[in-house]
Amino acid sequence: MAKESTEQYFRSIDVDKKLIANIDNGIIIVDEALNIYYFNKWLEIYTHLKEKDVLGEKLNSVFANINVKTLQRKIRTALKMDSPSFYIASNSKYLIPIKINRIKASGFTHMRQDVSVIPFDTEKRLVALIISDQTSIVSMNILLELNIQKIEDLNKELIREKNIIDKRVLFMKINNEYLITDCSQAYMDLLGVQKIDIYLQNFFNYENLKSAEELTKEILNHIQEKKVYKYEKITLTDKEKEITLLNTLVPEYDKNGMHIGFIIFSENITSAKLVQKQQQILLQNSRTSAMGEMISMIAHQWRQPLSVINTIIATLKVKKELDVLDDATLEESYDKIEKTVSYLSDTIDDFRNFFKTNKELSLIPIQTIFDKATNLLMGDIKAYKIHYTENISDDIKINTYKNELIQTLINILKNSIDAFKDTPRENQTLTVKVWEEPRYVIIEIEDNAGGIKEEIVGKVLEPYFSTKSKNGTGLGLYLCKTIVEEHLNGELTIKSKGVNTTSIIKLAKNLENKKEEI
Amino acid sequence: MSELSLTQDEQDVLQELMNIAYGDATAVVAEMLDAFATLSIPNIRLIETSALLHELKGLEGESYFFSTQAFNGMFSGESAFFIDTQSACNLAKHLDLENDEDLDDAILELTNVLTSSLTIRLAQEMNAEIKFSLPSINKLPYNKIQTNKTLQEYSQVIVIDTEINFKDQKINGEIFILTKDGSIKWLKNQLSSILEALM
Ligand SMILES: Nc1ncnc2c1ncn2[C@@H]1O[C@H](COP(=O)(O)OP(=O)(O)OP(=O)(O)O)[C@@H](O)[C@H]1O
Ligand SMILES: [Mg+2]
Repeated sequence: MAKESTEQYFRSIDVDKKLIANIDNGIIIVDEALNIYYFNKWLEIYTHLKEKDVLGEKLNSVFANINVKTLQRKIRTALKMDSPSFYIASNSKYLIPIKINRIKASGFTHMRQDVSVIPFDTEKRLVALIISDQTSIVSMNILLELNIQKIEDLNKELIREKNIIDKRVLFMKINNEYLITDCSQAYMDLLGVQKIDIYLQNFFNYENLKSAEELTKEILNHIQEKKVYKYEKITLTDKEKEITLLNTLVPEYDKNGMHIGFIIFSENITSAKLVQKQQQILLQNSRTSAMGEMISMIAHQWRQPLSVINTIIATLKVKKELDVLDDATLEESYDKIEKTVSYLSDTIDDFRNFFKTNKELSLIPIQTIFDKATNLLMGDIKAYKIHYTENISDDIKINTYKNELIQTLINILKNSIDAFKDTPRENQTLTVKVWEEPRYVIIEIEDNAGGIKEEIVGKVLEPYFSTKSKNGTGLGLYLCKTIVEEHLNGELTIKSKGVNTTSIIKLAKNLENKKEEI
Repeated sequence: MSELSLTQDEQDVLQELMNIAYGDATAVVAEMLDAFATLSIPNIRLIETSALLHELKGLEGESYFFSTQAFNGMFSGESAFFIDTQSACNLAKHLDLENDEDLDDAILELTNVLTSSLTIRLAQEMNAEIKFSLPSINKLPYNKIQTNKTLQEYSQVIVIDTEINFKDQKINGEIFILTKDGSIKWLKNQLSSILEALM
């Protein structure tokens, strides 16, 4: 019952007509000669033309823009095939000119249309032109294409930049299994290797760090802690050229923050290293200028023995003139002069050795060293009535460069004598104390010759600082400091309190051990 | 023999059907070109898409037009038409086309004409109805064809080489009917029932 009434209802309202009238497409029925047989409501609305005004008219006289030849061809083809032929909006823009004034129409003045030419009645040779609005799709497509173009341009730019980086920057990527997964062209060029030589190689094998176990350990530690790590490494190129790389290991994470490996950036510091080496050579050359310094030092150290010789000769002269010169005195004087002269030449050797690194160490009692140092000074000590005492236990031995230590002691003792000479006083004392600590020998030399003013005590170790006008060069203590700190791995301090001046020398008991420690 | 490849008999039947369809297509092309035209009887092959992509390697460096059109029904898929630039020029000259847009339009029309008439007729012979959607044209460079989604989506391709001769002009093209496994199964079924009827 329900079915029957439904059928009746639909028959009475003519479904097709009602739908076609309201469909969101333009529909025109024409024959091969383009005479219009049907013009739907949609078209009436969009073209502002009434169906009754266009029926029987030729489509091309209603719309002058129509390319008759093409349209007729499409109609013929469709009829012949008994299947639709088409106009595509992207190529043919539109068939029926319909002005549009939508804001989003992206510059189109007319509606873009897809048109299907559908065989309607093959006998009467009628076709239906179904027109659909494609404006938004076409403008969307244009927009899309523009953006695709932009993306392609950006992509090209990216690729270009990647290429530049690839060509210029030395880098390598390794994954969590330490396999090399990427390597820049620049890196391969530098080492003269090919992709196949390097890809998926174990980083540690490749780096050939087996020899440098320490370094391997260090790198592994840093890798495990995912820390940035810098290290220097010497590598051979395919041409057996040695290059030095400064490598920086940076952990790499993916976009979710998962650790996926490392990037190793390398900097070729071979030339920087070369410069460094050249600087070292230059520095060595500056030793020639150190020659000048050495000569000054020799001259400085010669003054005391020369004055000893002078004194002897002067004494001999006076004795001769007074006619009291006996053979014994002469003999003794010759002997003393001979010894002093040999000391002079020893001094030259000492300073020549001064800059050598492979000097001989000697294990020697401290007492022996003091005996040698005071030998030249005893004359003055007696002459200026200085009460000199040594407090050194016999068994203190030291493994050091003895001649250099002797030169140091002479300078310090001489300064005390100079001070007494300058301002003589009652009860002049010069005291030496030497004691041992587990790894050091401490030498303390103290006088009561007036002390050093507080404002200059900090300067006495500087070269050419002297208060002795033309008699002093100011090199004495500078020489001592250089010897003690740079050659004997010790420390020299000068302190003064009231009339007392104290020099303290702290020396490594065994220079060899001390060196190893460093 | 794989489930989805045609037996020699099935292939023969398909070739026969295609010959009939070609007769129709020739008539339509002649109508379209408004000239006496002949279509050489094609050789058809059923190959896998991967093999097709391999064949297309020959296109590297060539210039050509590539248009596609989808069709739906019991037998569904997409037809693609390759036409070299020289042939397209011949077509343009013959149709007095003024600009590139018109040329694109004419190529699409040819695509539509060839694929519709062939496929519809083929379907008719097998008692099926199919509908065509609007064709679209691509000027894909060779490397994009290799990665083109349309081609990759299909498993089997019926390849039809065509040569249209009209007046003293020549249009060379290649039609590919791309289908999914389901349609090939349907085709195979239809072909074998036609075969049975013939026995
Ligand atoms: N025991 C000391 N008592 C007082 N002043 C001292 C003493 N030792 C060093 N000085 C001061 O330190 C200065 C620098 O000493 P240094 O030995 O470097 O040079 P110098 O003795 O002046 O010259 P040179 O060593 O050539 O004779 C001295 O000029 C002096 O003023
Ligand atoms: Mg001095």
